[in-house]
Amino acid sequence: MTALNPASLWLLAMLVVPLAVLAFAVARPGRFGTALLVAAPLPGLVAALLALGGEPMAVTFPVLRLSLALDRPGAILLGAAALLWSLAAIVLPSFLEGDRHARRFVVCWLLTLIGSLGVFAAADLVGFYLVYALVSVPAYGLVAHDETAASDRAGGVYLAFALLGEALLLMGFVLLAAGEPAGSLRIADVMAALPRSPWAGTAVALTAAGFALKMALVPAHGWMPLTYTAAPIPAAAVLSGAAVKAGVIGLIRFLPFDLAGSGEILVVFGLCSAFYGVAVGVTQLNPKTVLAYSSISQMGVLATVLGMGLAAGDVGVRLDAAFYGAHHVLAKGALFLAVGVALSSTAGRSTSFLLLVAIVGLGLGGLPFTGGALAKLAVKDGLGKGPVGMLAVASSVGTSLLMTHFVWTLTRLAETGAERRVPRRLWVAAAAAAIVFPWLLAMILGGEVASLLQPAILFASAWPVALGVVLWLGLVRVRGLLPAVPPGDIVGAMERLFRASYGIADGFAWLDDKLRQWAVAGVALLAVTVALLVAL
Amino acid sequence: MTATTLAGLTGAALIGLGLYGVLVNVHALRKILAFNLIGSGVFLVFGLVARRGAVAGFAADPVPQAMVITGIVVAFSATALAIGLLLRLHERRVEDAAAESDNRSDNKSDKT
Amino acid sequence: MPLATSPAGYLLVLAIVLPVSGMVLSFVLGGRHAERIALATAPFGLAIAIAIAAEVLKTGQPITYIVGGWSPPLGIALRADGFSAVMLVTSALVLPAAMLYARAYFATPATLREKRAPFAFWTLMQGLSAALAVVFTGGDLFTLYVALELLTFAAVPLVCLDGRAETLEAALRYLLFALLGSILYLLGVGLIYGRFGVLDIALLAERTRALDGDTRALLVAGALMTAGLAAKTALFPLHLWLPPAHANAPAPASAVLSALVVKGSFFLAVRLWFDVMPTLASTAAMTVLGALGCGAILFGSVMALRQERLKLLIAYSTVAQIGYLFLVFPLASGAGAWTAVGWTGGIMQVLAHALAKSGMFLAAGLVAEAVGHDRISGLRGVGRSMPVTLLAFGLGGVSLMGLPPSGGFLAKWWLLLASVQSGQWAWCLVVLAGGLLAGGYVFRVVAPAIAGEPLVLAKPVARGREVVALLLALGAIALGVAPDGLLELIRIGRGG
Repeated sequence: MTALNPASLWLLAMLVVPLAVLAFAVARPGRFGTALLVAAPLPGLVAALLALGGEPMAVTFPVLRLSLALDRPGAILLGAAALLWSLAAIVLPSFLEGDRHARRFVVCWLLTLIGSLGVFAAADLVGFYLVYALVSVPAYGLVAHDETAASDRAGGVYLAFALLGEALLLMGFVLLAAGEPAGSLRIADVMAALPRSPWAGTAVALTAAGFALKMALVPAHGWMPLTYTAAPIPAAAVLSGAAVKAGVIGLIRFLPFDLAGSGEILVVFGLCSAFYGVAVGVTQLNPKTVLAYSSISQMGVLATVLGMGLAAGDVGVRLDAAFYGAHHVLAKGALFLAVGVALSSTAGRSTSFLLLVAIVGLGLGGLPFTGGALAKLAVKDGLGKGPVGMLAVASSVGTSLLMTHFVWTLTRLAETGAERRVPRRLWVAAAAAAIVFPWLLAMILGGEVASLLQPAILFASAWPVALGVVLWLGLVRVRGLLPAVPPGDIVGAMERLFRASYGIADGFAWLDDKLRQWAVAGVALLAVTVALLVAL
Repeated sequence: MTATTLAGLTGAALIGLGLYGVLVNVHALRKILAFNLIGSGVFLVFGLVARRGAVAGFAADPVPQAMVITGIVVAFSATALAIGLLLRLHERRVEDAAAESDNRSDNKSDKT
Repeated sequence: MPLATSPAGYLLVLAIVLPVSGMVLSFVLGGRHAERIALATAPFGLAIAIAIAAEVLKTGQPITYIVGGWSPPLGIALRADGFSAVMLVTSALVLPAAMLYARAYFATPATLREKRAPFAFWTLMQGLSAALAVVFTGGDLFTLYVALELLTFAAVPLVCLDGRAETLEAALRYLLFALLGSILYLLGVGLIYGRFGVLDIALLAERTRALDGDTRALLVAGALMTAGLAAKTALFPLHLWLPPAHANAPAPASAVLSALVVKGSFFLAVRLWFDVMPTLASTAAMTVLGALGCGAILFGSVMALRQERLKLLIAYSTVAQIGYLFLVFPLASGAGAWTAVGWTGGIMQVLAHALAKSGMFLAAGLVAEAVGHDRISGLRGVGRSMPVTLLAFGLGGVSLMGLPPSGGFLAKWWLLLASVQSGQWAWCLVVLAGGLLAGGYVFRVVAPAIAGEPLVLAKPVARGREVVALLLALGAIALGVAPDGLLELIRIGRGG
């Protein structure tokens, strides 16, 4: 290992501490302190804060061929993600009380945690692929935890999309590595070699496609509603908050922002997702499903931001996108915890509770004075004033509409009982983090926060939110006219298509039957001989 | 047509007939016999390689002859192993059939 | 390659003589002594293999040994290059692991002096060890023929040790098809000898390089030999014998058959096209082999998805993974900067598959023993009652799927890289599809296994045997962090 400064040790601890907790959880079945689960992500949080403070941090493991480095966008996302993982872990003791599969859940939780934190710091291709696999594959255990038909289906669909995305990503990474003449696998070297690589276009397209699957951009979005509905509350909170951002950091790292490229495709997919998520989300009645569609919409907005940055060749969009993503991490995580509060106690009906939920939710649409408003302002310049900018404002309206709908679905939620309790205080802490964290972050990053409190800017943030709420009030009257869309919408069609392909397997079985007859195999042997002879 | 060419054609014909026999015959014993036919053809080819490689003074190159001897031993062991498996398989099938008819007659007697 | 004995050449002889004398001694002493001798010689075999690998790495040259001081072409040379060395080490790891695992299966009861199946098993495993040693170090084509036959004769009875009719049938089918393959190989050897008058690989390499003019005999020989070796390696569409043989054999035998025996004939095919006749390896022929490999990957993986029995699933998975091996032919032959990458990828695939598959077969054997059957539909919850076993199976599956960190991932990475750099894009699609399909059939087993209530076991299994399976699977994962020394070793003496 290269000589480490103290700051880099925290980067190392970020991966080592959860591994140690994992070993402890596996070796000592039964009660292990869930305090450990809360503490496990904290070294990551410290590392993020140190990096934001300007400390250079890098670690290289020579044997494992893995290197870690933290830059500002990575640090922003890492800090938010680590905070969310820690908060969500507080809920786990009550959730796993008496659960037969507690150990399995904890193992999958810790593996996904390691992947989720590591992906923001990975600095070489193989290392990135490793932690990306860790954040995607063990999450199956979290999704399918309840072992109902719905959760099994959700788990299967999730894993199918995850592996498909990883296959695309692998091909993209191989192309990136092939384009690097010196054979270095460091992301910085590989991206620097991109202009001269003959496979640049295909490489970027494939990696972007892989990350788009992770971010659930339309039309590869079907798994998200199923997954977040089926997963238990703490899992849904971390998956929608932190794990999905692996796709975001991927786009931040692997899109060649310094070469103005064809980001228009990304913008188109992003805007489609942004509006599609809202359109289908208002037809849903389960609050978790509504949140999932909201995530699809928000990831669409992020993709639009990154696409516009790519088209304009603007390197600064990385920081803006990371900032927006960080707010989404905390806000979405907090909202899932709110669903947990509503499910577990009558406190979920009180006005103060619903008001706080509305503030956090509308923050996603850009409610003034919340962290969300700051996030929207950060990306506003990148979106420009043209048609894309106007559509982005329209999507803020849509988000506010969807979030109002979400609050309404919470009021209609049947309380399931107090066994799996989400403490109200935890929810308030998470909500506070979502509202306040971006302001703190902006101040650390040296932005002039005071100038953002001018009336003109406040009004520009406020009117889309107000419009969204008003539209919803109109929409609720025509509720009956909305179509009943099953959660996951087009996934059902994809599943049917997949099952139709089983016929191909039957064909293979028939072929196998024929080939395994002696005479046919013998003739095949002669045929192979002749084929080789002709080819030689 | 020299003797060598004739030997070569015979060898090829034996190999061809043997291959045909291995592929077409259903019974394992016939396959084993056909395999031995291929073996004979291959050894004949070796023999003619020996003849063609003859140097001054010798009637044939000794190396292929050594290979043929080894080959015959290997083919013999292969045949022995195959026949052993075949015999045991046959015995086993007879035992299984007997056991099954015992079972069936037991079941019948249970019914009456 | 020099035609003189290297200083460490005696190691090659030891590697062969040790298991042979063990086998002979077992046969003479009989009974339970066979087991003791086999287990006693195993650590020495591992030490010798590691010593050979260390020597090859240190000198950067293949080790040579001239048997009896008689130089080729009249005498026989033994040669170990990087590929031989890593294969020797792998077989020295897998065979003892299978033997340790098999002690519970094939123990001679205290009341008897000798029992047929255990005696046969322990003697044959040593025979297998000897045959593999000769295959990996043999330096001329005819010695390799003898070694190939020795390998088949040692492997076939392992399939039918339990004496049931269906295993006897599977063994007979295996034997007959394998014999067909080896007689074609022998014919090819005869034709090559007829053309050149030498059989030594190094000498042949010189002569084919200097060749001009009539190559017809060599092309026919090459085609015959490759087809014969492909039949012995169960390359699609010649895979008819593998699923019944590997699935119905006892678990330790299946592990060794899938991991090592099929690799023996593959090793010879590589020797043929990379050492003996590299200049004659036309692109078209290599593409044919690659195409058959692709067929194997797709076909084997889809068939594995359909299987009801666990061991048949693993056997069809072997059919698929063998397809990856044959991609080394189009990707590492010829001249081009990518051939080194393709070669490393292919060899890494051989090693990773050997370790992963043997671990998986041992794990499947434990499951079958504990539960009483190996129907996949009846295995829900087995992972909760046998977590170590399922972990071994799962880690093996991770390597097969090509997820990092594992040897399978590195192999896939390098094969993809070589495909891209050489412009042969078609292989990329198949490699990626194969990974997805492998994910499918591993998921089919692992997902129900970790769900539900712990399955009630008919018989408990010893922790030690679970650990053996786990160690093999961990070996496949450990290859994923292979030190550069291993990669260097693989490239030493690369032909062509």
